[in-house]
This record gives sequence, C-alpha cells and structure tokens, in this order.
Amino acid sequence: MKSKAWTEKFMQGVFFVAACASVLAVALICIFLFANGIPAIREIGFVKFITGDIWRPGSEQFGIFPMIIGSLYVTAGAVIFGVPIGILTSVFMAMYCPKKIYKPLKAATELLAGIPSVVYGFFGLVVVVPIVRSFGETLYDAGLVKSAGNGNSILTASLILGMMILPTIIGTTESAMRAVPVHYYEGSLALGATKERSIFRVIIPAAKSGVIAGIVLGMGRAIGETMAVIMIVGNQARLTTSMLDGIRTLTGNIVIEMGYATGIHREALIATGVVLFVFILIINFSVALLKRRADHE
Amino acid sequence: MKMKKFIAVLTMAGMMTALAAGCGSDNGSDSGDSGEWDAAKEITVVSREEGSGTRGAFTELFGVVDEDDNDMTTLEAQTTNNTSVMMTTVSENEYAIGYISLGSLDESLVKAVKIDGAEATAENIENGTYKVSRPFNVAVKPDLDNAVATDFLAFIMSTEGQAVVEEEGYIPVSDVQAYAGTQPEGKAVVGGSSSVSPVMEKLIEAYEAVNPNAEIELQTTDSTTGMTNAIEGSYDIGMASRELKEEEAAELTGTVIATDGIAVIVNLNNPTDDMTVDQVKSIYVGDVTTWDAI
Repeated sequence: MKSKAWTEKFMQGVFFVAACASVLAVALICIFLFANGIPAIREIGFVKFITGDIWRPGSEQFGIFPMIIGSLYVTAGAVIFGVPIGILTSVFMAMYCPKKIYKPLKAATELLAGIPSVVYGFFGLVVVVPIVRSFGETLYDAGLVKSAGNGNSILTASLILGMMILPTIIGTTESAMRAVPVHYYEGSLALGATKERSIFRVIIPAAKSGVIAGIVLGMGRAIGETMAVIMIVGNQARLTTSMLDGIRTLTGNIVIEMGYATGIHREALIATGVVLFVFILIINFSVALLKRRADHE
Repeated sequence: MKMKKFIAVLTMAGMMTALAAGCGSDNGSDSGDSGEWDAAKEITVVSREEGSGTRGAFTELFGVVDEDDNDMTTLEAQTTNNTSVMMTTVSENEYAIGYISLGSLDESLVKAVKIDGAEATAENIENGTYKVSRPFNVAVKPDLDNAVATDFLAFIMSTEGQAVVEEEGYIPVSDVQAYAGTQPEGKAVVGGSSSVSPVMEKLIEAYEAVNPNAEIELQTTDSTTGMTNAIEGSYDIGMASRELKEEEAAELTGTVIATDGIAVIVNLNNPTDDMTVDQVKSIYVGDVTTWDAI
C-alpha cells in the first residue's frame, strides 16, 4: 500500500517535470526575445521602428512598416482563398460525404498538413509563379493593371498560403460542425428547410465559434509561415498597392538577413521577431477568448 | 450510382486542372523558344539580402551606393538569400537580371554577361580586365593551438592548396611556397560562408590526401555565423566571403585564401551579351526599368 503511494507520487513528479519543460521553453523564448529586442526598439525609437517605411540596414534605417503590412496582406490573401474552400470542404465532409470517399479525403487533407513548407515553396516557385506571371501579363495586355509584375507576388503567396491553411480550417470546422447536436439539424429539416438551408442557417451558426477559431488558427499559421513565403513573394521591403507586386513579410525579413547581420542590424531583426511574437500572442488570445465563449454557450 | 457519378466528376475536374496547369507552363516555354523577346518589358531586378557578402561586394564594385557608401539598391528589387533561388528565378523569368558568385555559375541555366567587354573568367579577373571580384577569407583566433588547423592553413596557403583554388575557377593568391607539412594527427572543424564552402570542400579532400592522419569537418552556414563561432571557439577555422568587420577583426586573424568573381546573370533568352558598369548600376539603382532603355 505504502509503496504504491510512493510510486504514484514519483510518477506525478515525472509528469510535472514534463509539463514544466514546455512552459520553461515558452518562458525562455519570451525572455530571449524581449531582452534582446526591446533595447533595439528603444535605440531605434518605437514609433520610427513600427511606422518607418524605409528598411536600409546599411544606412541604419530600420522601419518595419512595409513588413507589417506585407504580413497582413499575405495573411488576408490566404484567408480569402483558404476559408471558403476550407468551410465548403468541411460541409461536404461532415454532411454530404459518402463513407467510401470519406477516408481518402480525410487522409488527403491530413497529408496536406504534413507536406514540408519548403516543398510548398518550391512548388510555388516552379509552378504557381509562372502561371501568376502569365496571368499578370494577360491583365496588363487587357489594360486592367498598371504593371504586370513578375510572378513573385502577394497573389502567389496568398494562393500557396491558402493551400497551406486548408488542413487547419477543415479539421477545426469539421469537428465543430459534428459537435452540433443532431436534433438542431433534424428540427430544421422538420420545419421544412432544405438541407443546404439547414446547414448554412442552423449548423454553421451553431458551430460559429469553432469555425472562427479554425480561421484564426489558420491565420496564425499563415502569418508565421516563412520558408514557402520567402521563395515566392519577392521580398521587396517597400509598400505596394498591387496584388501582382512582391512584398516582404516579418518572418521573411528575419530569416533573409539573419545570416549576415551584426550589431544593431541583428538586434533590429530580433526586434522584428518581437513584433511578430506580439501578433501571434494577439491571435492566440483571440482563440482562447473564442473557446471560452464557446464553452459558455 | 450517385457515387460513380461523383467519381466521374472528380476525375474530370482533376484532368481539367492538369490540362490547365500544363497549358500554363507550355505558354511560358513557348514564348521563350520562339524568341518573342520583348525589350519593352519591365526588368525584374533580383538582388541578394542586405548584409550578404555577395551583395556588399556587388554594390561596392558597381557603385550602387550613395556618397556615404550606403547601399542604394532599388527597393523594387526582389530579394533572396539563396544562390539557387537566384538562379532559378533568373532562369524562369526572361526579363530578370541577378548576380552570383562566379564559382557557382551554371551556364546551362543562365547566361553571364560581359562587363565593359570583359568576359567573367578567372583569367580576366587576374589580369584586371574583369573588375568585379571579392576576397574569400578564413579567420582563426590568434592563440589557435590546434596543430591540424594550423597545418591545414599552411596547406591552403601553399602551392598545392592554391592549385586547388585555381582548378575550381577562383583566383589564387600569388607568392606562395610549397607545402612542407608535419602531418600532425587530430581533428579540426571548419565552418562558415556557403560561398566559400565548395572550394573548402576540395581543399579538405586534397589535404586529407597528403595528411591521412587528420580529420577535418566542414560546416556550411554563413559568414557571420562562421566568424561568431570562430570567436567562440566552436570552429577552429571560420570562413567569410567578405572582409572581416571591425569587431570581428579585433578577435580574429584573417587570411585571404582566394579571390572570387561576381557574375551578372540574365536569362538564356535575353539577347544582351555585353553591359557596361554604368548600365548595370542604372538598373540596380532603379533609373532604368526596361531592357530597351539601356
């Protein structure tokens, strides 16, 4: 009896240490980022750093505003392409899918999540970039846009990122829809609504917080994606208004210049990481908030 | 029944997409093969990232800087931190221009243009007609006590070592003497710049042939990591494809082991063969944006 109590205590300790490891990792990353990044932000000047639109480390101009906008552009683009496809796929998988094709479909969406991002990037570079380039040229010839762009663009990155966030959105949305009590659906059908109407007016609203959490998680993946994006987005550190122009993202800025950066340039890159981290924090808090609201409902 | 119909629709959709994708890429190569090169199209300027040794040397040598030596590369330039992405981009885009290390140039993918009439070759760099070059450095701590590392350095700076450098297409250091090694036993770690590492690999091979007692490990990272790790002691020898920065030179002794040319590259379909330094400069500062304007 006594020895059993002892082993239980011991194992409890083991589990506790394991749990501490991840908390410790997050804490260490936070400390590293803020300890290295905050002094740089202070030296450059917070307002100048956040709102400055010129990034020329060689002449000590560190403005990351174009990169913030760049990250927001590609994330918004990913949401525009990924969310409708993702939600419609989940509707199919949860409500319409015959059992026979459910398994391969599920496996395919899960495989999409497992593809390394560098493979997405390479696929984008050799397949999507030329297509977007000829698309841009067509638009230019038709006189619809001022510049044809060269394929490495916000549009290309949005397409690839849209593809990359599909598994996140599909996974969360599908399980949220399955969690809606079946009598909601049956009740709606019994009232004479069609299947489509029941799904879009009853099930999806009932699964709302799960769906939104999926979208927000997808946004987190899109904003944090690095390797695939730097290969296809052009990485120009300046503002633009055209979807066919390239831009640089926060993650791209860090990874592209980290290799050769020294001194204040290096610190400015870590400070870029701080800004990115704040974005991720905002996203995670909103997911937590949505989850809590969902629990209350 | 329903199921079959669905699968048929799915297959059709799949085939259509494949067809569309096929057409897309066909169009791209068609326009290239038939030589519809349109000089009025915009130039896609591709550049390396700020701080890169290649970019630093390029902007300095072509004068893409303002009075205070600040980098003035146009903000419209695409940026990459990778030689292969640079080559893929230029080989895929007919209107692109870029620059890479002469040693990594693959002439089946891209074309190197002549600068002021001089072809980008090792000979022309040596005789001074091709002026776009930069040093490859190795750096060690002044109190290095690894016998293998010291002996390897001596080998690099010997006639034998410099013969390897020359063979790889880089420009060797002149006035060196024959290697008179002591064949010490042990291990050394060399690491740093990815531009230097191809030639370093060959040097290590050649050295291990003359001194089978030694084991040398090569780690490819980048110039700054190379220097930082050499200072911290995890590399015995650090490699940099640029001059050492002041704070690095304070702690390390640098040696130039070779000179590398920088080739300005364009797409194979681009009819331009010869450019002047001023033309390249005007493209990179953004004054000229179409090929017919140069």
